[in-house]
Amino acid sequence: MFLEIKNLSVKIENKNILKSLNLNINKGEVHAIMGPNGCGKSTLANVLAGKEDYEILNGKINFKDNDLFDLNIEERAQEGMFLAFQYPVEIPGVNITPFLHSAINSKRKRMNEEEIDNLSFAKLLKSKASDLGINIDMLKRSVNTGFSGGEKKRYEILQMSILNPDLAILDETDSGLDIDALKIVTDGVNKLKTKDNSFLIITHYQKLLDYIKPDYVHVMVNGSIVKSGGSEIAAEIEKDGFQKFQ
Amino acid sequence: MNIQDNYQKNRKNIFFSENKDIATHREKLINIFENDRFDKKNNESLKNINLKNFIDFKYKYLIPEETSVINNNHENSYSIVSVNGQCSTFKDDKIEITKIIDEDYNDFSKNNTIEKNDHFVNLNSLFLNSGFKIVIKRNYNIKIKISNIVTDDDLTIFQKNNIICQEGSSLSLIEEYENKNNSTSNILNVIKLEKNSQLNHFLIQDNSSNHNLIITSHSSCKKDSTYTQKVYNFSEGYVRNFHYSELIETNSEADLQGIFFLKDNNTSNNKTFVKHLAEDCKSNQVYKGILNDRAKATYFSNTHVDQVAQKTEGYQLSKGILLSDNASYFSKPELKIYADDVKCSHGSTIGPIDENAIFYLRSRGMSKIAATKILISSFINEELSSIDNEQMSEIIQKKLVRYLSKVK
Repeated sequence: MFLEIKNLSVKIENKNILKSLNLNINKGEVHAIMGPNGCGKSTLANVLAGKEDYEILNGKINFKDNDLFDLNIEERAQEGMFLAFQYPVEIPGVNITPFLHSAINSKRKRMNEEEIDNLSFAKLLKSKASDLGINIDMLKRSVNTGFSGGEKKRYEILQMSILNPDLAILDETDSGLDIDALKIVTDGVNKLKTKDNSFLIITHYQKLLDYIKPDYVHVMVNGSIVKSGGSEIAAEIEKDGFQKFQ
Repeated sequence: MNIQDNYQKNRKNIFFSENKDIATHREKLINIFENDRFDKKNNESLKNINLKNFIDFKYKYLIPEETSVINNNHENSYSIVSVNGQCSTFKDDKIEITKIIDEDYNDFSKNNTIEKNDHFVNLNSLFLNSGFKIVIKRNYNIKIKISNIVTDDDLTIFQKNNIICQEGSSLSLIEEYENKNNSTSNILNVIKLEKNSQLNHFLIQDNSSNHNLIITSHSSCKKDSTYTQKVYNFSEGYVRNFHYSELIETNSEADLQGIFFLKDNNTSNNKTFVKHLAEDCKSNQVYKGILNDRAKATYFSNTHVDQVAQKTEGYQLSKGILLSDNASYFSKPELKIYADDVKCSHGSTIGPIDENAIFYLRSRGMSKIAATKILISSFINEELSSIDNEQMSEIIQKKLVRYLSKVK
C-alpha cells in the first residue's frame, strides 16, 4: 500500500476534527475527497503534510513503508509528499528561484541523487513555467507575494511539477480560479500523472473532477469518510448536495 | 565616586576645562545628576540599563601614541583611523579635518532637541576627552571610511565629532566600531548639512560583549539637503543608538534606519527623533530588530511636526522578530503634529517568526533551521538589497551569515 490511513482521530484546541478516518491509496491512483465546509478535509491535508498544530489522538498512517509520524515535515516532503496549499503563504523577500532550487536539492540529497546545478535548474524551471503559462518575470518575484489568487495556485502547481512528488495532495486548488486558469492548472496536473505517482484531490465541486478524472471519490462528513465509490458520487453530490450524507 | 569628584579629579585631562563658559555649563550638568531621581518610567535614556554602572565609572583615558592615519586612497576617497577618539589633522582642497574647539562645544550645548536629562549625552559633555571635526568643501563628492579603534582595556572614551557638509557637497561616510576590549565609548556626532548637500551615513557596530557603545547623533538639514543614516548593530555588547534630526529648511529630508541583531543577554536601546521645522520636508524612521535568547531591546521613534511645517511627509515603522520566548522588544512610536496639511504614519509589529511561513517552506523539503534562516534574511531583505555600496553590502552579508550561524 502506498498510503494507508487507519482509524485516524485528530483534534485541535479541544475540538475533535477527524474521527476514525480510514483511507487507502495505491500507486498510480487518483482519489478525490469531497465534503461540506468544516468537515475536516484541510485538516487531513495538513496532518498528512505534518503541520504541528494538531494532536493525533489515535490511528496510524503509513506512507511508502514509513510510519508517517516518524517523519518530520521536511522529511515527508523529501520522501515525495507534496501539499498544494489552499491558501499559499506569502513570503516577502524570499525569491522563488533559489527557494525552489534549494527545495529540489534537499529532496535529491535525501534520495542520494546528485544535486542539480544552477544552469540545469534554471532551464528546468523555465520550461515548466512555460508549460503552465507562467511569465518568466514572475520567477524573479518573492514567494506568492502580490500574486493574484490564480497566480498563487498556478505557482503551487509549478512547484509540484518541479518537485515531481510521489503523492500530491491538492487542497481546494480549484478555489479562486477562473475557468481558463482551472484548465491550465488541471492540464499541469494531468501531465504529471504517471503509473508511479498518486493524487489526493480535495474539493467542494465536481467541476475540478471534470478535468482531473479520479479513480475513487470519497465523501467526508464530520471528520469521517461516509461513502466511497467512483465518479458517479461526484455527480450525485453536484445534483443533491451533501445533505443526504449527513 | 560621585560625578562631581570624578570630574574634579580628572579635570586636567578633559577638553576645554579652562574655558569659563564651558565650566559653568558643566556645573549645571553636575547639578542635573545630583538632583535627578533617575526616574526610569519617564526617562527614555534609562530604559533597560543599569545607569549606576555608567555613572560610577573609573575614568581612564590614553592619548594615542601613534598619529592616526588619513590615507587618500584615490582621488575622492579617504580612510581615517580614529584612535581613542582622536584623529590627526588634514587639509586639502576637498576636505579639512581638525580637532574640535571650544566653539563647537558651545554651539552644541545650546541645542534644544536632545533632552536635557539624557544622562549619556550629559556625561559626554562633562568628561569630553576626544573628537574631531570634518568639513566637506563646497560641491565636492567625497567618500570617507572611519575605523574607530579603542586601544586598551578600561578606557572611557567621551568623543564629540562635528561633520559639516558644505553647500552642494555629497559625502558617503562609513563608520566602523569593532572593538574587542573592555571599554566604553560614548560618542556624540553633530552633523550639519548646508544647502543642497547630501550625506549617506553608514554605521557598522560589531563590538565584543565587554565593550559598551553609546552613540548619539544630531543632524540638521538646510534647504534641499538629505541626511540618510543606516545603522547595522551586530554587537555582542551594550549599544545605545539615539539619533535626532532637525529639518530646518524647506525640501530637506532625513532617513534614519537601523537593524539590530541581538543574542545571549545583550541589550540595545534605540531612539530616532525627527523635528520638522519647515515646509515640504520628508522623513522616514525605520528600525528592525532580530532578538534571540534573552536579548532585550527598546525603540522609541518620534516625528514632531511644527505648525509651520506644512506638506510634511513623515513615516515611522518598527518591526521585530523574537526568536526566543525569553527575548523582549519594546517599541513606542509617537507623532506630534501641529500643522494641518501633513501625511504621517506610524506602525509597529513585533512577534515570533511566522509559523505558517515556516510550515510552507518545510513542506517543500527545507529544514526548520534553513527555513528560519531564510525567513530572517527575508525580514531584512529590503534594507540589505537597498545598500548601493558594494563594499558595505559585502561586510553586512558576512556579519549576517555569522549571526545566522548561531541561530539554532
